[in-house]
Amino acid sequence: MKPRQSRITKVPLARWLIIEFTGLSVFSLLWLLHSPLAGYSAFVGGLIFIVPNAWFVHRVYRYQGARNAHLMVGNLFRAESTKIALTAVFFAAVFTLMEPVHVPALLFTFAVMVLAGGALRWLIRPKPRR
Amino acid sequence: MEMVYIAAAIIIGMGALATGIGFGILGGKLLEATARQPEMANQLQVKTFIMAGLLDAVPMIGVGIAMYLIFVVAG
Repeated sequence: MKPRQSRITKVPLARWLIIEFTGLSVFSLLWLLHSPLAGYSAFVGGLIFIVPNAWFVHRVYRYQGARNAHLMVGNLFRAESTKIALTAVFFAAVFTLMEPVHVPALLFTFAVMVLAGGALRWLIRPKPRR
Repeated sequence: MEMVYIAAAIIIGMGALATGIGFGILGGKLLEATARQPEMANQLQVKTFIMAGLLDAVPMIGVGIAMYLIFVVAG
């Protein structure tokens, strides 16, 4: 009997990033119709989501397999707390350093990207390979 | 003005508490399920990852609103 090979999960990070940046560009262009400041703020709002989230994905899939289950869970907790901290720091930096900023465009785009990101990970899932 | 800081603290605190409980349960179940069926570990990790994305959506938006309250409304 052929021994079962270890599975390695393929994470479609590049696909996620391409789709997220495309959606963000469309959203920013829509806000650009309102005003250039709103378009710029919307783009920054989307980046505040995309950058910590890409780092989260990179960290979560550092360890795989049943042998590394404890490392997997530890990394999940560390990655999540760092992601929230990074998001808070980016928001604080934008609100203090970026002047002026269109707050509704920034927050609305961020919220839409957060919800779309969850849906995207549901629709395009990482595939465990045999 | 102090009320704004209190509101931001409640938003961040409650968000952190809920996310902590959620992630604790999620991580615990992942360990438990992996111990029961080690061959399913990678599939369970994928499911955990998807649930983590859904779990932290609301607290992330809360962090954004709290930062807005602290640095724009009160600042």
